[in-house]
Amino acid sequence: MKVLAANIEDVMREAAARWTLIAYFFLSSLFIIIFASAVNLDIVDGALAGMKLFGKDTDAPEMSIEKFVLGFESGFAGFLYLLCTFMAIFATAHLVPRMQDKGTVDLYLSRPVSRVKLLLSRYVAGLILAGSNVLYLMGAMWLIMVWKTHVANPRFFVGGAIIMLVIAVLLAFAFLIGVVTSSTAVSIMVTYGFTIFSAILVTHDKIAAAVSKDWQAWLIDGMYWVFPKTFELGQAVVAFVGGELMPDRMSAVLNPAPFLTTAAFGVGSLILASWLFTRKEF
Amino acid sequence: MTTLIEVSGLRKLYRSSFRKPKIIALDGIDFQVKEGELFGLLGPNGAGKTTTVKILLGLTHATTGSASVCGLPVRDPESRRRVGYLPEGHKIPNYLTARQALSIFGRMSGMTSADIAKRIPHLLDQVRMTQWADVRIKKFSKGMTQRIGLACAMVHAPQVLLLDEPTDGVDPVGRREIRDILRAEADRGVAVLLNSHLLSEIERTCDRVAVLRDGKVAAFGSVKDLTQKSAQYKMVASPIDDSLVASFRETGAGVERVNGHVVLSVDDLQHLNTLVDQLRSRGGVLSELTPVRETLEDVFVGLVRAEEGVSVGAHS
Repeated sequence: MKVLAANIEDVMREAAARWTLIAYFFLSSLFIIIFASAVNLDIVDGALAGMKLFGKDTDAPEMSIEKFVLGFESGFAGFLYLLCTFMAIFATAHLVPRMQDKGTVDLYLSRPVSRVKLLLSRYVAGLILAGSNVLYLMGAMWLIMVWKTHVANPRFFVGGAIIMLVIAVLLAFAFLIGVVTSSTAVSIMVTYGFTIFSAILVTHDKIAAAVSKDWQAWLIDGMYWVFPKTFELGQAVVAFVGGELMPDRMSAVLNPAPFLTTAAFGVGSLILASWLFTRKEF
Repeated sequence: MTTLIEVSGLRKLYRSSFRKPKIIALDGIDFQVKEGELFGLLGPNGAGKTTTVKILLGLTHATTGSASVCGLPVRDPESRRRVGYLPEGHKIPNYLTARQALSIFGRMSGMTSADIAKRIPHLLDQVRMTQWADVRIKKFSKGMTQRIGLACAMVHAPQVLLLDEPTDGVDPVGRREIRDILRAEADRGVAVLLNSHLLSEIERTCDRVAVLRDGKVAAFGSVKDLTQKSAQYKMVASPIDDSLVASFRETGAGVERVNGHVVLSVDDLQHLNTLVDQLRSRGGVLSELTPVRETLEDVFVGLVRAEEGVSVGAHS
């Protein structure tokens, strides 16, 4: 626990000193303030009678306020899925490369801590940094919605949990790339590229049908099953938060396979990163 | 005295690129450092000094041979609980203050917050950095960063200190203070292994040294043994005229006039006494007779330039 606490303090202090933490929370706060002040809802007898955006009337259809909240929060959760994963990787991908700098790595590795423990401590510290922002953004948006509509949708936080799962998996992959290359820029680029490539693989059936050779089709299908399902999990965030508003979508994402294979990829990345870090010579 | 660092038959090969031969960084070195000893590791660039220290810390692994610290094999992370390390050109995270750095590295070494809180003021005082305790390291000069690096290495009161160029960038007064700190640590039983290019520092600080060359121990022993030139003495006397020099040479002694004194090369102490008797019999007055010593730098340069297979120094 001492090692974990020391690493968390180190990561948080670095994030604060390098303005990452401030920029992270400043952008999130700006977003929250704009949303809180820009959206004005006109609720009559528990139904949405009208909505003003930046003081201007919008032609929102009349609907029950519960339905509006579910619809709004599910769409918003989908947006946060993209925003939070993007910001999380950007804010934490440096943790391993910077630790592996000549003159710095010796200071960490000369302590009585196994390399696996050191790497995992920094991984947890990175997750806490990213998680605190997800919690801040989602918690604040949820409170604003409760304040404006008096409707509390706890499923919004299920979306937050799925976002954290994806961040954990992508951060594990970024750590793996960081251990191998010792480069923050490469870690960020490869992780973003990989996220987009994984999302494209959702159409693996069509791609596999289009390729000319069997082995190419197997390769495409194999990559789909091994790589994280970033597109499906994004859909799952929207569907879980929307709940009964979108039963068709909900039943489509109740399949556990994308969750399990994505989690397995994250665990595999972390194990491989730990193994390589243990064998690495400095 | 207990042996705290033990290196035996240590060999390290680095893989080179495809089809090229492997690079031999260490070729079977042995040495021991006991508690309370200040031990210097010398050698030209690429001799294997840093590799040796990195193996002792588990940063890199030996190809063959063994190394232990405080009786524990270096692959065991527990061995590092007793080791403090100051790397050359270290980069302590510069967003931390001196106090925060000591606290974080103290906890990573297994110390409790209470122990750290007690230890930090003492350490900062020891390295003369008390008034800079809450200033970020990025504001520090190189010498100040070096002092904080030393404090970080000593934060958990280790039994072994491995220091790579500890006085690099430190002013002369600071160097003396660091030497005093290291001597005080040795006096309380800490084994200090010093890796430095500043030979005068090693000469002033260390009890024993090992000189590495091409991955092997080329010389090993106390600084005194390594620097004493056998059978050469400086004689200051008056008068030392040409006839006296000629009579010295008649006994088979080598005589060299240097800045008003002579350097005598004799066979043994009996021979030296014969020369002193000759001086006195001629009415000469002896005012100084001292063994000629080389500096450690002379020894080092001699060893580095020596051809392979030529034994120089007191290798044991």
